[in-house]
Amino acid sequence: MAGETKHAKPMTSLLNEDNQLAAFDASTIPKQLLPVLDVEKSVALKVVKVDPLAVLKIVKHARESFPTSVNGQLLGLEINGVLEVTNAFAVPTQLGTEEDMTNYQIEMIQSLREVNIDSSSVGWYQSTRLGDFMQQPLLDVQASYQASPSASAVVLIHDTSKSEQGGNLSLRAFRLSAAYLELARKESFGTGDLAAQGLTYGNILEELPVHVEGSSLAKALVAELQWPRGVEAELLAEMQRPSSFNAKLRARRLADRSAVADDAEAADDSALLPARAAAYLGRPTGALGLDQSGGSLSRQLEAISELIDEHVHDANQWMYWKRGEAKVKNARAQFVQRRAQANVAREARGEPADADVPEAELDRMFCPLPEPSRLDALLNTANLNLLTKGVTQSRGPALTKMFMAQGLHEAN
Amino acid sequence: MLNLNLPTLASSIVKSGATTMATTTTQQCYVHPVVLFSVLDHYLRRNDNQERVIGTLLGVRSDDGRVVEIRSCFAVPHFETEDQVEVDMEHHRTMFALHKKASAREQIVGWYATGSSLSKYAALIQDFYSREAAPFSAVHLVMDTELTDGQLAIKCLQGAPIGAGAHPENCMFLPLPYELQYPDAELTALQAAADSKDSEEGYAVLISDMEQLENSIEELKAMLVRVTAYVQGVCRGEEKPNNVIGKYLMDMLAVVPKIDSKQFSTLFQTHLQDILMVAYLTNLTRAQLNIADRLQRIV
Repeated sequence: MAGETKHAKPMTSLLNEDNQLAAFDASTIPKQLLPVLDVEKSVALKVVKVDPLAVLKIVKHARESFPTSVNGQLLGLEINGVLEVTNAFAVPTQLGTEEDMTNYQIEMIQSLREVNIDSSSVGWYQSTRLGDFMQQPLLDVQASYQASPSASAVVLIHDTSKSEQGGNLSLRAFRLSAAYLELARKESFGTGDLAAQGLTYGNILEELPVHVEGSSLAKALVAELQWPRGVEAELLAEMQRPSSFNAKLRARRLADRSAVADDAEAADDSALLPARAAAYLGRPTGALGLDQSGGSLSRQLEAISELIDEHVHDANQWMYWKRGEAKVKNARAQFVQRRAQANVAREARGEPADADVPEAELDRMFCPLPEPSRLDALLNTANLNLLTKGVTQSRGPALTKMFMAQGLHEAN
Repeated sequence: MLNLNLPTLASSIVKSGATTMATTTTQQCYVHPVVLFSVLDHYLRRNDNQERVIGTLLGVRSDDGRVVEIRSCFAVPHFETEDQVEVDMEHHRTMFALHKKASAREQIVGWYATGSSLSKYAALIQDFYSREAAPFSAVHLVMDTELTDGQLAIKCLQGAPIGAGAHPENCMFLPLPYELQYPDAELTALQAAADSKDSEEGYAVLISDMEQLENSIEELKAMLVRVTAYVQGVCRGEEKPNNVIGKYLMDMLAVVPKIDSKQFSTLFQTHLQDILMVAYLTNLTRAQLNIADRLQRIV
């Protein structure tokens, strides 16, 4: 038997050689793949389809580094208005220079290509904690992704603590709106510009619907994980929790940590599943520390009040500027008026009138302060909107759970 | 053919067959679901005429190396012929170095392969990974992607040397008990995947918390109906009583907290007021924001 030969050998290469590309014949392409060649991007992006593998990778990365916000690359393909995200990889946060970062990503993509994983970047993901992800860096990065008109890149926002608490995956896909891109190109965010482009806090980002779809094999795996073969026998044979994730998730969703009887209960979690301490190894501290103390709401409210303060500050600043501008305008109007009056008086005395001061001269004399950029205020408002919306939405389930608890209590 | 999923038997084998090698034997293994999905994805993206795929498993170990948690993995290209096997070690090293940068804690803990039976080169590859995972033994995860018996069996194995001399080709694979681990955050992602399996269109649309809660309550109601029917059946003597189920029900009823009626209504009222106040305040803020925005457009 021959020994094992271990040496580097690139097994596949998706990239055609240059000469092969030249001999490329479009007519040999199957019809359903033709939209791939749609370089002009005549079809607008309609939906983002994420593979469970990519979702799990994002979730894992975000969970392990909680509460730090992390990001990574999305790999996939855009076809016919559907952006398929098939894989993702983490980008380390502590990498030094920009160059290191780029090298890391290039190397990673090349390595993944060797094993036939989609090698085109279709965007990136970022994790958030409270839901106030509307930050300048995020917009800048996304703008650079969307810089070329053919690039259909999205940013996926994953909220770890919301997912854990609600028992409902929080994954949203966004793209920058055309209005924002237009203004960012001109770098002018004055009140007038905003109004002209119709840019408000609500439409900086456009949300796209997210679909989760896996391969048939992945579906088979999920089925296997949900109800492993022989789980019923195992259940009856010994008092053991099924390895099915259904029960646990259901318990998670029904339990509201901030709801009724914080002190008296501690039971909501275990109410639905037989308690059995799971033998976790080296459980990341983040997992336990994930906003489970019921402090999530108060933290959110704190963030909201901070943002409101900032909002008021911004508004005051703007008012200050507005007053300054009005003062200058006033002075200018007075100057022109005085001059006109003087001229009238001179004419009455039969003297020649002074020449009108040209507009440019006037502008120079009464130069109003440039309007401060409204972008910061706009982002602040957008964050405030996101946070309050999140809190409002979380109240519905909270109320429902409270009344459920009441029903349970009365039935007792 | 190895038969698994017999934790008690498996661990006894591990104990009695404990190796005398320098490596420490692993006794318990936890697997994260993301690993399984990665393996499947790799299998789907294999080259033409390739029967199985292999890759490196990454994870963390307890200090004594007895418990291992497999957290992630990456694919390694390899090439099998009748009489030899080539594994792209360069790729393995590059990927590991890249992985290290993003998640520094994860070590090489073993390797995975697909297929219903072990590859004939498994021993050789196991030998290589044992050296990579030193001083601990390497874990081998096998996924039956051919769906033998209609199930996607997952097995964890570890190698033990057999025979007198330590030949790399001589290796016996012993079953290793494993358990899947579902951190809370991953559960939600898996739920989305499960929804996609059950939906008719083949994909799952992410829904709001409220709808999700509604679904949960529906499921809970269905479960209650089933349990009630069972209990009544037992009471009437139609159904054969089962002690284990009875114990479960007892346990469940016991954890419902017993709160004094008065205390409960106080708690209920306070919480209700809190919730309503928060909802009111946030809605007020939103209204204010809207007004400010409209005003600004007029100015």
